Amino acid sequence: MTNKNRHFDEDLDLKVSPKLSEDLNTLFKQQFSVPPEVDRAIIDKAHQHLIPKHWRHRIFHHISLWRVAAAAAVIIFAFSLNLTQEPGPRTSRTVLVKAQAVDIDENGRVDILDAFKLARHIESAESTKTKLSPVLSTGQALVKQGWDINGDGLVDRNDVDLVALSAVRLDKNKGVL
Amino acid sequence: MKEITAIILMSISIIVPVLAQQSEQDNESVQPKVRFAPLHIYLDSGNKSLAAYQFELKAAAGQIKIVGVEGGQHAAFKEAPYYDPAALAKDHIIIAAFNTGSELPKGRTRIATIHLQIIGEAEPDYELKLTVAADADAKEIPAKISFEKGE
Repeated sequence: MTNKNRHFDEDLDLKVSPKLSEDLNTLFKQQFSVPPEVDRAIIDKAHQHLIPKHWRHRIFHHISLWRVAAAAAVIIFAFSLNLTQEPGPRTSRTVLVKAQAVDIDENGRVDILDAFKLARHIESAESTKTKLSPVLSTGQALVKQGWDINGDGLVDRNDVDLVALSAVRLDKNKGVL
Repeated sequence: MKEITAIILMSISIIVPVLAQQSEQDNESVQPKVRFAPLHIYLDSGNKSLAAYQFELKAAAGQIKIVGVEGGQHAAFKEAPYYDPAALAKDHIIIAAFNTGSELPKGRTRIATIHLQIIGEAEPDYELKLTVAADADAKEIPAKISFEKGE
């Protein structure tokens, strides 16, 4: 048997002699006793010092989790928006026009004939300007008939365009230009 | 442990949408055949002068997108007609025009050309409906509307 093997030998006697035990006890014997009040004070101090830190850590941990969750929510929301999709075409007109206002011939239907008739009225009024009113302009005279669709104080080609655009709108039920 | 869970959840929440979008883009990249073709619209007003018209076009079969609208053959309707810009990129449109002049077409005339994007192999079919046609006095006239597919 080698020295190495002997070192790990289970049969090795590990018992300490009573003399050695006594000497060690003497050497490391507590020289003075700590009063229990001091012990308690130290423990309380330690609690005061450690517990707030612990709570701060927990609060910080919670805030971090919330931040992570919020960031994830924002990212998911951003991805859910299809930003590459182009917005649909819009009508250039934003003026609200009631369907009744553009029904020039008052037949209960808004179609191109309403625009056509309004355009003919305007042309006719221009050709007979003096007969309509010596004071008011052509457009102003037609305003009185309620054909100033865009409300700019004149009845002109812009109003005709509004009527025509109302006629070709896909969602006519909305009655909005 | 909680931190690791949070990191894993965050990674999943980021990676999954990214992968989903990528797969969507991959699917989009395998697009069906697309071609462009004009559709010529004709109106026959007989012996009456045509001063105004309005019609509606819908895709009855196949997949189309309207990409543009052009005026007609006669000088009276040469300008682009009225239509709702919202109809572009859709398969349904209402088109109308009028002319208050005295030089107006009679008989069969091309009133408009609609440019279409045709998607897929299926040959599209169209539903064309004349809403109104009128003469110079803004009186409704009988007319026949038809279309011809262009190349």
